[in-house]
Amino acid sequence: MPNSHKLALIVDDSKMQCKLLSVLLQEENYQVVVANDGASGVQMYIEHQPDLVLMDINMPIMDGFEATRRIKQLSGAGNLAPLIFITSMDNEQAFIESVEAGGDSILVRPFSPQVFKAKIKAIQRISDLVEQVKGLQQEQQNDAELAEKMMSGVIEARNYGLDKIGVIKKAATIFSGDIQLSALCPNGNIHVLLGDFTGHGLRSSIGAIPVTETFRAMTNKGFSILEIVSQLNKQLHTLLPGDLFFAASFACISDHERSAYIFNAGLPEGYLFNGEGEIKKQFSSSHPPLGILPQLLPDTQLEVVQIYSGDRLVFITDGIVEARNPEGELYGFPRFENAAIAGIKQNQLVNKVLNSLDDFCQHCEQEDDISLVDVPCSGWQKIEFNNKTSPEHLILNESLIDDEQTYLPTWSYHLHLTGKLLKTVNPIPLVMNQINDIEGAGEHWQSLYTILTELFVNALDHGVLQLNSSLKDSAEGFSQYFNERAKRLDNLPVNTINSPDNFVRITLEYFPLSHGGKMIINIKDSGKGFDIVDVMKRNNIAENDGIKLSGRGVELVNQLCDTLEYLEHGTSVTASYIWHD
Amino acid sequence: MTVSSRLSSDNKQMVISINERFDFSSHQQFRDAYNNEKLKGLTYILDLSKTEYMDSSALGMILLLKDHVHLYSGDLIISKPSATVRKILEIAQFQRLMTIE
Repeated sequence: MPNSHKLALIVDDSKMQCKLLSVLLQEENYQVVVANDGASGVQMYIEHQPDLVLMDINMPIMDGFEATRRIKQLSGAGNLAPLIFITSMDNEQAFIESVEAGGDSILVRPFSPQVFKAKIKAIQRISDLVEQVKGLQQEQQNDAELAEKMMSGVIEARNYGLDKIGVIKKAATIFSGDIQLSALCPNGNIHVLLGDFTGHGLRSSIGAIPVTETFRAMTNKGFSILEIVSQLNKQLHTLLPGDLFFAASFACISDHERSAYIFNAGLPEGYLFNGEGEIKKQFSSSHPPLGILPQLLPDTQLEVVQIYSGDRLVFITDGIVEARNPEGELYGFPRFENAAIAGIKQNQLVNKVLNSLDDFCQHCEQEDDISLVDVPCSGWQKIEFNNKTSPEHLILNESLIDDEQTYLPTWSYHLHLTGKLLKTVNPIPLVMNQINDIEGAGEHWQSLYTILTELFVNALDHGVLQLNSSLKDSAEGFSQYFNERAKRLDNLPVNTINSPDNFVRITLEYFPLSHGGKMIINIKDSGKGFDIVDVMKRNNIAENDGIKLSGRGVELVNQLCDTLEYLEHGTSVTASYIWHD
Repeated sequence: MTVSSRLSSDNKQMVISINERFDFSSHQQFRDAYNNEKLKGLTYILDLSKTEYMDSSALGMILLLKDHVHLYSGDLIISKPSATVRKILEIAQFQRLMTIE
């Protein structure tokens, strides 16, 4: 860098010295300003903001040390306008004192013009480096702030239910390696994710964007939480370098099913609290963090728990329990649990935990990102059941009414899944995609999604797998049910051609109406069927007792559909769903 | 020096020990400890008996070591982690990815 526009300030009470140094500096392309005592030197520094200061030591009014201390105080630590003491005092004390006052170098007279110029060049080189570092730092800071703003716009702003979900997010640097996501499934379930990328800062936040996009898109399309976890794992394994991975907890909260599905891959234990703040259950990590293995481990399973009104799910990252106080002690689980319990009792978990953490850490430097999500298990908006259409909306297209014979669907769709495919393929997103592709997206598909899901799960669980839903009536049976389900799914035979033994067939037929449409859904399974009357009766009795956990699915579908009919001893079910614009 | 490594006299075992803190600051030392070791079929023993603290970037470094070991068809054993360190390994379920003893 040429020195053409650099400005030097000479502070010396000898006019002769000033003249001499000025000439040398001008030969090096400096402009020069001069002060003849320390006090006016400080004044000149303020006025001219020079790039270099040459300072004498012994001067009237204010000596060079004091002037230097003031100048250095003004210029601040990061700002290096190098200051060189020029002196005849050739002793150690002067040297030590000049450095302590803030001088960057010292030059002892007598010196030749060549030595002087060399000294100036050397100090300028250092000063240029400092400038460069400062510039880079500033640039990095600006970039980071901009990126952070965009990221939090993309990530947090679009989260679902932020008025209900409590969040703590304290980043160790501008960027947090932690992310919190929540999204609404088509059937009204809530998906929640709390995740922690290795490390912190920009490097660790890169993965946040693909994770967010995948989580949202798949939730939207109706994929289950396990399918989302599996996809995220695959994606991160491809994207991230070997030492970067993603520890995360996932939950799917189903208010209407009164159950929650939990998966913890590498985070500290998650909690299920009841409304009184008691810990009902903890969820330890059961899988390595995502992005390490190319695929999820084969025995990967979700934990299923029953939930009651007032229950809360709380996930944390290790930043909370590993936060330290000035003595180096860890905040730890017991302190966290006490604060959380006290917080739930006063209905302000987030505040209580934050206060307790602040009291403990006493403004100690934060080493890791700190985050928490607190999700209520109930009180989510129910999907609306007012889909039963009034007769005036049911007028078929006139041409259709005229001639019964032409009352055919405008399109139909069949999906027949057999054997092992029933375990590995979730047909619901496939079916919903077809509908969206043909008829476009719409609010009314949400109810259809629920109908399809419930009927398919019933056909699979009670038809093909022959599971008895009354198992789900007790808390122990509840988890037993899901274990048994996983076992039976595993035992499904690998696909064989023309295998009639295990199948579920989904058929859709679509009829346009003048102000809406009608979908006929038929689901047929290979099971043994059931005594329809008997089941309905049992359901009704239990419903009156208000304790029944099973049978909710059919009840829900019944409310959403226009008609619902079980045929062929319960192995075939036909539902019609009508909506209007 | 928080990271030290030595090769056994029979050229079959490489022991890497880490003292005190195992975190991002030991990144370079840790890499240097094994990166030039190209012998095939070595058993790498990561001795964590003197490691008092480990963070998630250390887990990442262990995964890089695992990749290296795998590349040269060796074995990786994590040896004698303290209770605190073991807890961190367990949360990350590393016992399912490698041997911890």
